[in-house]
Amino acid sequence: MTWLALIAAGGFEVVGVLNVKRLGEKQKNALYYMIFCFGLSFLLLSYAMTEIPMGMAYDIWTGIGTIGSALLGMLLFSEPKDWKRLACIGVILFSAVGLKLVA
Amino acid sequence: MNRNWLFVLIAGVLEIFWVSGLKHADNSLEWIVTITAIATSFCLLTYASKSLPVGTLYAVFTGIGTAGTVLAEMVVFGEPFNMYKIIFIATLLCGVVGLKILSSSKETTEMEVKGG
Repeated sequence: MTWLALIAAGGFEVVGVLNVKRLGEKQKNALYYMIFCFGLSFLLLSYAMTEIPMGMAYDIWTGIGTIGSALLGMLLFSEPKDWKRLACIGVILFSAVGLKLVA
Repeated sequence: MNRNWLFVLIAGVLEIFWVSGLKHADNSLEWIVTITAIATSFCLLTYASKSLPVGTLYAVFTGIGTAGTVLAEMVVFGEPFNMYKIIFIATLLCGVVGLKILSSSKETTEMEVKGG
């Protein structure tokens, strides 16, 4: 159950990030969706942390959010698919995951 | 520095404050500051998302937040220093700077930014 909650938290985080983008494009209701998604995402994350170790839960959550928003950005908003850009995002993700694991 | 990137950096720095706030705030003033920081950092992100790819933006935002929070825990809240943490913070900064260089070379095609 906590693992399911963690994956759902990652999913809502990605939808939240997409609404950051939609809000930038001045789409109606994007603000409410954004607050709702991030709120739910944090709630699910903190629920997941009751059983899954905090560092690991945070890593998986950030990982889903970072990879998911990069992928959806490319698919939905035709953002650049440049491999150098993906490599940099990968380096950031790797470091963030590493930081939480050693912390 | 381009204004959108500046906004992402400020949003990331604010994230350090609000993450620390969520963890350590214990009176109403501190909670007000924390919530204001959350709202401001998301406003800045929204603004920057008009011109920067949202994938790049979110990676940089989370990256700065994570690295900064680990640093803040060590410097302000007395968590133990650890060589691995410093190394990961350094590689993370490389990623952020790399993205910045890639995006600025795209914005200023005529000037051809070299190196990096």
